Amino acid sequence: MEPNNDVALDIIITNVVAVFRTRCHLNLRTIAREGSNVIYKPEVGKVLMKLRKPRITASIWSSGKIICTGATSEEEAKLGARRLARCLQKLGFKVKFTDYKVVNVLAVCTMPFQIQLIEFTKNNRPIASYEPELHPAASYRIKNLKATVQIFSTGSITVTGPNVQFVATAVEQIYPLLFECKMAAR
Amino acid sequence: MSSRVCKTCGCADIDIDQARGNAVCMGCGSVLEDNIIVSEVTFVENSGGGSSAVGQFVSSDGTGKTPVLGSGFHTSIGKESRTQTLQNGKRHINNLGHQLQLNQHCLDTAFNFFKMAVSKHLTRGRKMAHVIAACLYLVCRTEGTPHMLLDLSDLLQVNVYVLGRTFLLLARELCINAPAIDPCLYIPRFAHMLEFGDKNHEVSMTALRLLQRMKRDWMHTGRRPSGLCGAALLVAARMHEFRRTVKEVIGVVKVCEATLRKRLTEFEDTPTSQLTIDEFMKVDLEQECDPPSFTAGQRKLRLQQLEQELAKKIDEVQGEICSYQDEIEMELENSRPKLKGIYASYTKEDTQDDTLSVASGFPGNEDGEDEELVAAAKHLNKDFCRELLSEQDEADSGAESGAESEQPTTSRQPPLASLLGPLPTAASLGLSDSIRQCIAEKEDEENSEHGELDLNGIDDEEIERYILNEKEVKIKTDLWMKQNADYLKEQKEKEERIAKEKELGIYKEQKPKRPPKKREPIRASTAGEAIEKMLEQKKISSKINYDVLRDLNKKGCSPSHQSEEAVTSPTSKRLASRRKRNIAALGLGNQVSNMGKRLKPLISGPTIKKPAGDQGVTSTVPTPTPEVSQPVVVESGPVVYEDVPDEEDDEDEEPCVSAMQLMGGNDYGCDVDDDEGI
Repeated sequence: MEPNNDVALDIIITNVVAVFRTRCHLNLRTIAREGSNVIYKPEVGKVLMKLRKPRITASIWSSGKIICTGATSEEEAKLGARRLARCLQKLGFKVKFTDYKVVNVLAVCTMPFQIQLIEFTKNNRPIASYEPELHPAASYRIKNLKATVQIFSTGSITVTGPNVQFVATAVEQIYPLLFECKMAAR
Repeated sequence: MSSRVCKTCGCADIDIDQARGNAVCMGCGSVLEDNIIVSEVTFVENSGGGSSAVGQFVSSDGTGKTPVLGSGFHTSIGKESRTQTLQNGKRHINNLGHQLQLNQHCLDTAFNFFKMAVSKHLTRGRKMAHVIAACLYLVCRTEGTPHMLLDLSDLLQVNVYVLGRTFLLLARELCINAPAIDPCLYIPRFAHMLEFGDKNHEVSMTALRLLQRMKRDWMHTGRRPSGLCGAALLVAARMHEFRRTVKEVIGVVKVCEATLRKRLTEFEDTPTSQLTIDEFMKVDLEQECDPPSFTAGQRKLRLQQLEQELAKKIDEVQGEICSYQDEIEMELENSRPKLKGIYASYTKEDTQDDTLSVASGFPGNEDGEDEELVAAAKHLNKDFCRELLSEQDEADSGAESGAESEQPTTSRQPPLASLLGPLPTAASLGLSDSIRQCIAEKEDEENSEHGELDLNGIDDEEIERYILNEKEVKIKTDLWMKQNADYLKEQKEKEERIAKEKELGIYKEQKPKRPPKKREPIRASTAGEAIEKMLEQKKISSKINYDVLRDLNKKGCSPSHQSEEAVTSPTSKRLASRRKRNIAALGLGNQVSNMGKRLKPLISGPTIKKPAGDQGVTSTVPTPTPEVSQPVVVESGPVVYEDVPDEEDDEDEEPCVSAMQLMGGNDYGCDVDDDEGI
């Protein structure tokens, strides 16, 4: 197989999800009244707050738990989370920025070749599963990295994992397997 | 029987009498064993004079502690839960399997899968129906029968993706590798449904050849096999002069029109579509001897031609970069809607900063400012823009541009591969850099563990903008209050109620799941009124025409008598259910007018839930007869209707609700399997 250094695979991170806690009770009504760019969902019990600068959306619960989604990199996620906490501070709550953790990273990558999914599934059972009636992609779960790779026949793959490093490792791991099952050039 | 030594005299001569169950020492006569347990077959004489063996069959699994007293106790008593589950499962599997026309061997295999699933506790937290369907589908896949998951979901009225999830889980847990679906399996089935008559076989064969062609052209990866089958059958039918419209085909194949058209378009792009029917038959035969070389060779040729021309153009045009860029931009604008994929974003960028913006967008790195990368990307951009232009110039054959526009990545393969060659290190370096940065950042985070908010990099002014000033707050509050007035009212009422209950001291924490509230029994003077009141209570539909209902009452007094007699024979549960179903079948009013009085004890029968239900019924059947003589008013008890808790769902699901459902239709579902079905 080709060693990875010779191939330029651009892994584009499209979404980073992070959580943190403010360690204080938040009054959702106040946030809903006094914040701009907020959506209040009383049935579920949360407030959605969207920031423009790092483009993120945050779900804020009254217990103080906040989930931050939509960032395109880990630093951006951190920055956005801190901005959000600062905003809540200004609204009058005694927020603390604790337990910040990146929970999920979604990245896409395109292979320069097409992939034969049926062969790929045959070679990698039972880690890979492909059900054309349900979803056009074959999904491959890497247990030790806790990452899932969805492989489409056009050669694009999407990788989800707990952080960027694991995602990169997953791509490196899966590249040789995909290279084996590539389709002859059209 | 082990022959032992006698204790008293030491003699080894022991006589064992089976009939008496004794073991006696022959030497001293002392009885060593009494009441020996005998495991012999004994026979009993029948009334007819024949003899039959005494004993029962006990299954190997289960405790076998069922004392079968008399005849036909309900099977639910005394059996273990596990055997019950398995029995239930077997019954459902057989039901579904017969509806799918699976043979007994398949059903047995499915039952084995089910047993394995139960032993691994996979049925917990899942609906039995889903697990059963998954087991059956697993069998279908391993045996290769032409059943789709869609069929199963049709039968069960369950979302196909939910079934699919259960199926995937089952396959994974049981470590069963279901072989991939071959669309060729579905052809005979769909062809049969499309009714080609005598030519069925020929059309099927043609469709099969088409499918194999599609497979070779790699059209079938990632696609639903049914869609491909549909396209193949449509073409095959047209080839043999059968007029099958798209609508008929999609009705059989169960894909939507758009999908079918797309498959046909893709097939049109393949070179095979250019052949005539005769050629297709002929050339196909030849190809069966020599499969991939023909088209692959053609393609290779074409690619080689492209590359040669590319090389030429690159040589020619090396000096005229600017003019080409302008042309490229124009072309890109013209072909903007065609381009897809990651390169589409470039066409939207500003024309001036084309190279830079493309450079920053292309590798999508976190750095982006890396000089090497910018240079590399510029170089890349030039080359493949030229490539794009040259390819567009060359796009004589419609198929080529069609294929190109649909799959921009594939046509760019040769130049990319060659161009990416000299540039690997830049990008891979960039990637590893960013990873290093990420790791470095993680160390910074540990400093703020104690919860202090690190304020660097946060622009306070900007954050101020996120907070509204007082006037805005007021306006927003008013708006929100107006919008959510109902919700707020509800909340207030709830709080008041809780406060009241607290005062009275009977306040209970409301659990989210409440038991179904018992409604007052309806008191009505006639059956018709009873129905009306019940319907109003249940608030099922405002669309019921009560006048018609009342009219139904008056008609059909005679047919109800006949049905009564026919129905008195079977057992109690069936009686009750059949009577209920009769109501639905003959129309609401028919039965009720005469049966209203009989209904009352019968319907209340199952609610009492006595196992000796039939006794209850037989006793009540004679009792209504004296009541019938008092025609007018029945004060001796209200008509109690069973309350089924999940009735409310019916409202939302369907606007028109059948009469059966109005009467509490959820009860019927479980009984349909038992009865032959009225």
